[in-house]
Amino acid sequence: MTTANVLSSSGPNTIFDRFAKLNWGIITILCALAFVGVLMHFSVSSGDRLDMPVTHGVRFAAMMVMVIVAALVLDARFWLAIAYPLYAGALLLLVAVELVGATRMGAQRWLDIGPLSLQPSELMKVGIVLALARYYHQLDARRTGTVLWVIPPFLMIAAPVGLVMHQPDLGTALMILFAGVCIMFLGGLLWRIIAAGAIVAIGGAIFAYTSVLHDYQRDRVNVFLGITDDPLGAGYHVLQSKIAIGSAGLFGRGYLQGTQSQLDFLPEKHTDFIFTMIVEEFGLLGGALVLGLFGALLALTMQVAMKARSLFGKLAAAGVAATLACYVFINTAMVIGLVPVVGIPLPLLSFGGTAMMTLMAGFAVVLSIDLHRDQHGARGWLW
Amino acid sequence: MSKRGKSVGSTLPKRDVNVIFSRRAALLSFVGAGVLGTILFRMAQLQATNLISREYSAAADENRFDTRIIAPPRGIIYDRFGTILAQTSKDYQVAVLRSEVDDLEEVVGRVAQILGQSVEWARRAVIKVRGGQRYEPVPIIEGLTWEQFNAINVRLPELRGVIANSADVRAYPYDIVYGHPIGYVQKPTQRDIDRVLEEGNPEGERRATYLRNPHVRVGKAGLEASMEQTLHGEAGWRKVIVNARGVEMGEDEGERREPVRGSGVVLTIDHELQRTAMQNFGEQSGAAIVMDIFSGDLLVMASAPGFDPNLFVNGISQANFDLYNGDEKKPLFDKVVTGTYAPGSTFKMMVGIAAKQAGVEDDWSVSCSGAFPYGGRTFHCWARGGHGRVNLHNAIKWSCDVYFYQAALRAGPERIAAVARQFGLGDHFDVNVPNIRDGLIPDPTWWRENRNEGWTGGLTLNYGIGQGAMGVTPLQLAVMAARLGNGGRAVAPRLVREAPGVTEPGQPPAMTGIAAEHLARVRDGMYGVCNEPGGTALRAGNLELVRNPETGAAVRKTPENSTWQPVQIAGKTGTAQVRALGGNRGRHYSTIEWRFRDNALFCCFGPWHEPRYACAVVVEHGGAGSAVAGPIAKEIMKETLLRDPSRRPGATLASLERNLASNT
Repeated sequence: MTTANVLSSSGPNTIFDRFAKLNWGIITILCALAFVGVLMHFSVSSGDRLDMPVTHGVRFAAMMVMVIVAALVLDARFWLAIAYPLYAGALLLLVAVELVGATRMGAQRWLDIGPLSLQPSELMKVGIVLALARYYHQLDARRTGTVLWVIPPFLMIAAPVGLVMHQPDLGTALMILFAGVCIMFLGGLLWRIIAAGAIVAIGGAIFAYTSVLHDYQRDRVNVFLGITDDPLGAGYHVLQSKIAIGSAGLFGRGYLQGTQSQLDFLPEKHTDFIFTMIVEEFGLLGGALVLGLFGALLALTMQVAMKARSLFGKLAAAGVAATLACYVFINTAMVIGLVPVVGIPLPLLSFGGTAMMTLMAGFAVVLSIDLHRDQHGARGWLW
Repeated sequence: MSKRGKSVGSTLPKRDVNVIFSRRAALLSFVGAGVLGTILFRMAQLQATNLISREYSAAADENRFDTRIIAPPRGIIYDRFGTILAQTSKDYQVAVLRSEVDDLEEVVGRVAQILGQSVEWARRAVIKVRGGQRYEPVPIIEGLTWEQFNAINVRLPELRGVIANSADVRAYPYDIVYGHPIGYVQKPTQRDIDRVLEEGNPEGERRATYLRNPHVRVGKAGLEASMEQTLHGEAGWRKVIVNARGVEMGEDEGERREPVRGSGVVLTIDHELQRTAMQNFGEQSGAAIVMDIFSGDLLVMASAPGFDPNLFVNGISQANFDLYNGDEKKPLFDKVVTGTYAPGSTFKMMVGIAAKQAGVEDDWSVSCSGAFPYGGRTFHCWARGGHGRVNLHNAIKWSCDVYFYQAALRAGPERIAAVARQFGLGDHFDVNVPNIRDGLIPDPTWWRENRNEGWTGGLTLNYGIGQGAMGVTPLQLAVMAARLGNGGRAVAPRLVREAPGVTEPGQPPAMTGIAAEHLARVRDGMYGVCNEPGGTALRAGNLELVRNPETGAAVRKTPENSTWQPVQIAGKTGTAQVRALGGNRGRHYSTIEWRFRDNALFCCFGPWHEPRYACAVVVEHGGAGSAVAGPIAKEIMKETLLRDPSRRPGATLASLERNLASNT
């Protein structure tokens, strides 16, 4: 890190230079995925209404512009500076949700502030990544090998996970947990502790199944594990999804032609099951293409992480990648019946601004870290 | 980092976090790639499974295809000359499927605009849709014109959730004229469905599913109910594409079986006569029958007041039902077959024949002083002043009660009952309508078994004038008149002239034990009633018709043809008490409550010179038979004789069905 001052002036100087040096690969893929989303929402509306695809496209475009502007003007120092305040704020809001939050669809997730409807658990998805990245960034390398210094990050993860689980929002809780654990792992957690943690996790899962999960969640797990057979209940969604994917063929039934989707046998086709609709209308190849785009996006993000010069930058970018992977893996595995149905959307494709906003905020961090990779340490207080 | 490193204890091993990060990030990337691969593999596996078993394709097809029943068009009901009395016509209607509508007010408002309906109408339509099933189309307007239907149809793409369809509806073009005997069809009720299921046959479930179809209608009253099998037809089906809520989105062409129209039914009714009969009743309550005395064809089968069967087809409103059901004249009640009345003096022909059988001579006469003392009581004649000396002929002509008191005593109740039954009173005649009642001709045996008391002479006296526990239906009265008219042949009435499974009746058999001479005496008496001075129905008998000597046809009497032979009828009046004897005595007719007034009856046959038609008329609580029932019968009979429907060629079912097929 002694080279910091030397490199401080070698970053892009004008706004145009920086604009040119943005990670256009990532931006292109984000746009491509969002475009697929627009296409699918036109199909969701049976091809005769424009409000959903337009809303989706405009929403993405607005966020993309904001992400680019943020990446251009903010560098890693900003993200580092707001990491703890953001985390603390999100945690406070989660407590507030617990106390005064609005209950919708059986879960207390929302905080109504005037006309605004805020979901603090989404804020936490970004907050946990930045806060843990900062924690490991500032932790002495040798201490990463001690049990004592595992306790703070463990608590930082456990607190929001517990609160979100209680809402109850199993999907989001899992995502916060997954992103947090990934960063701990990448930050240098000892294998011994990982092994111990794994044992505790399995025990915890059994405990959760028997005494923490709500009935509807346990039903879903039961159906998934084959303990109960319930084609019209929790298993209905997955069954219809598997029918759609299984009958789609290599090239699909054609755009606007998916029978399961267009005739509404596929539930939640505009949100959680949009991937099924893509496969039904564009076939296995269409599904593979979308998975490929997500894979490429993950790879490019990991590349940003690898190339980042600070540990904060590495962990933050990797944390965003972990969050994205978590969305993609759980959602697609869910629609093909590999994991139980937990309400997790496919970001950039599913309708709705929440997941998109979370993910785009993450990519604002990633793009900014990538762009300002060589420009750091100008103020000594960080390094 | 070196700055902070110094403060850390030197016992801890050195770790390079950048190296650890790189290694572990690479590891996680591999794991991630593996997960993506697994997901892709799993998708491919699902499709591979399907390639072999087709299970997912089959499941998808099962989801989207549904077989829909096409209700068959119902058979048409014609009168004997081919006039359509009940038909199936297309009704154009608009329905709303709430589950498909975003903004119900807006959509219904636009429908109202297109159809030119008021805002108030739209408001009510919205309430109707809200009150109906979410996933089933709720009709908001029916009976659209073709133009209105077209206007809606072209706008349908912008009216999501609005369905314009045409449904077969049963229509009765002459409404109240044929409430009876044709009846009506309705949606099967839950009870109909339960009954099918309870029967326990293997087809029960399928049949119940069929009955639940919203387009299926079944006969619920009258001939529509009793000839359901013939009229219904055979259902077709079509394969449709449905969405998850079962809403039809399209049709799979080619996969379709057309329904088969139900068979038509030709009735014996002559529409013109039936209408004349109904009109002649006016506001009065009762029944009228005209019957061919040889074939038994019912040319008129009228029950008044009528009701409009069209009101029932789509479910009658409570208000309308209450109006019909609460009416003391009972319009929903087919008085022809379900109304039973004491025959009153119309029964005297039976007593006369029985008396003849018992050996009463033609010149046997009684003296009528207006009253007859018997068993310590006095039995009155309707004529207060008495009739003087009366023989059988005059007794029928004047309807002398005293003569028949004594004739009944001579004949005895068993003999009278036997004769009455032979003439069809108390007999069961299946004329293809439901709820046929058989009436009652009691005799001493019946009396002992059902009343737990012995028969008395007083009962025999009442028997002589057709009063007491006796009850006959207007249809039976017509049969009696027909059998008197045709010279003692056991003709049976029929309402259906032609339909699958209905056979042409043969020549009716002669009744055994009825001597032609006895019959002739009674018929002469009936002739006297209508044509001789002092006859009780002289007014009704004056048809003012004459017989064209060349063609034999009856024509209206005019100054030019007044020399031609008059066309005459023979009949008998009857006035039957509703209330126990003497209840109305001494009271002016208009002060008696309607339901306690006497029933008026009249039965006749004609033309006298060559009888062909019999007619019976009952006017409930109409008063005297001669004053009320007679004139109605006269008008009906006059029209019948002028039209002479039995001698006109009728329509055949085959030609009617051919016309229908070529028109559609």
